Amino acid sequence: MPQHLLELILFSTYAELRAERSRSYLGLIWWVAEPAMMMAAFWLVFDVILKTSGPGYLPFLLVGLTVWQWMKSCITHGGYAIWTNLGLIRQARLPVLVFPFVQMLADTIKFLFIFALLLVILWGIGYPPNLSYLALPVVFSVTLLFAAGVGFLVAAIVPLIPDLRFVIEQVLTVVMFLSGVVFALDSVPSPLREVIALNPVATLLDATRGILMHAQWPDWPALLKVCIISAIVFAIGIGVVRQLAPRYPKLAV
Amino acid sequence: MNAPLIELEHVGVAFSAQRRVGSGKFWALEDVSMSLRQGERLGVIGRNGAGKSTLLRVLAGILRPDRGQIRRGRVSCQLLSLALGFTPYLSGRDNAILSGLMIGLRQRDIVARLPAIKEFSELGDFFEQPIASYSSGMVMRLGFSVAIQAEPDVLLIDEVLAVGDAEFQEKSGAALRERMRQGHTVVLVSHDETQVSALCDRLLWIEHGRSVREGPRDEVFAAYHEELVHPDGAT
Repeated sequence: MPQHLLELILFSTYAELRAERSRSYLGLIWWVAEPAMMMAAFWLVFDVILKTSGPGYLPFLLVGLTVWQWMKSCITHGGYAIWTNLGLIRQARLPVLVFPFVQMLADTIKFLFIFALLLVILWGIGYPPNLSYLALPVVFSVTLLFAAGVGFLVAAIVPLIPDLRFVIEQVLTVVMFLSGVVFALDSVPSPLREVIALNPVATLLDATRGILMHAQWPDWPALLKVCIISAIVFAIGIGVVRQLAPRYPKLAV
Repeated sequence: MNAPLIELEHVGVAFSAQRRVGSGKFWALEDVSMSLRQGERLGVIGRNGAGKSTLLRVLAGILRPDRGQIRRGRVSCQLLSLALGFTPYLSGRDNAILSGLMIGLRQRDIVARLPAIKEFSELGDFFEQPIASYSSGMVMRLGFSVAIQAEPDVLLIDEVLAVGDAEFQEKSGAALRERMRQGHTVVLVSHDETQVSALCDRLLWIEHGRSVREGPRDEVFAAYHEELVHPDGAT
């Protein structure tokens, strides 16, 4: 990658985070407050009111939502990035991949902040650090690869069919519930459970929870499988963006 | 004569008419041929909707021709765009850097030129404020001050010769004319004939997406005026 592009990506990411901070009164506090409020809502409904879950539900939910929110923001923010920058794409000769990439990088930096906070909470409520933490970078890399792949794919198509945005939010909500983000998949009846377990998001969440809550090393073969799927999705995503790139400058803003 | 930097042969560019399934195409450029050589200052003239701006975007490498040939040497072409990538919540300084990166400058070069940009834009202390607090004139001043820093091999200009109030218009116009006189290769699209004749030595006349005539300034102007007076043209 030419150094000039790298500078553009890094500075745009800085600009994105900086602008986000200045857009609201509380600025950076929302990075943490927003997910915290969402977690509180789920905890209230599933734990306090429905009492669906036993002990250990709070950390289960915290880890699930933190990782899921990261994936979701990469897919939606990255996915809409080309579409929202069409005005710029019409005026300047820039590789369009830059735009989703910047969003995903910004979301990943935000995630790392929130994750650091999550670790402190986990240690506070009795889930101390352990040796299997060493596997976290691997699990997170695969998670990012998968989210980025889906994000690029969405980014490629949304400028051509902006109507898809209305569908994507709903699909992601369904995927969230089917991936064991808010409740454990053990409670799903058998034939359906095996089908859902094929979902890469479920495997990635399992691996992260295993590490953080049970000091368990990931299920490497399952992770490898997800990694291969992610790499394929990623390659297709990049390929489709590059294929469609000449059409974006011609689209009406 | 040196080899052309950019050469277009029967280039056409089509757009979808609207965002509907199965909507037709319209050709904004039908058939344009031209060549641009080192140091030339080429003016593009033609009526509204003739395809002048589309042609500039083809030259800039933003649009890829749907038919015809484009041959381009190893040259950078940059459309002079004001306020490219400006973000309301960022300071004038950050926006200048961001915009500079988008027009192809390296970060250290822009940072080195920040004092000059601040000076030229006459923003004073506002330079450190978010541009959301600027008046539109201030945004344009900052935009111009950044855009003029671009140093492509071929500078493409689309009707943005002067911005802001009368005084700044004078200053920005002068800065741009200075850039053009420094021997850069320039393609200029403008409705202002006096400006075109003052700044360009060659002209390309396009009409309905087709190149009608390319050549020395006075010759093409004469033919163009002839056509305007006698639209049915005894050509």
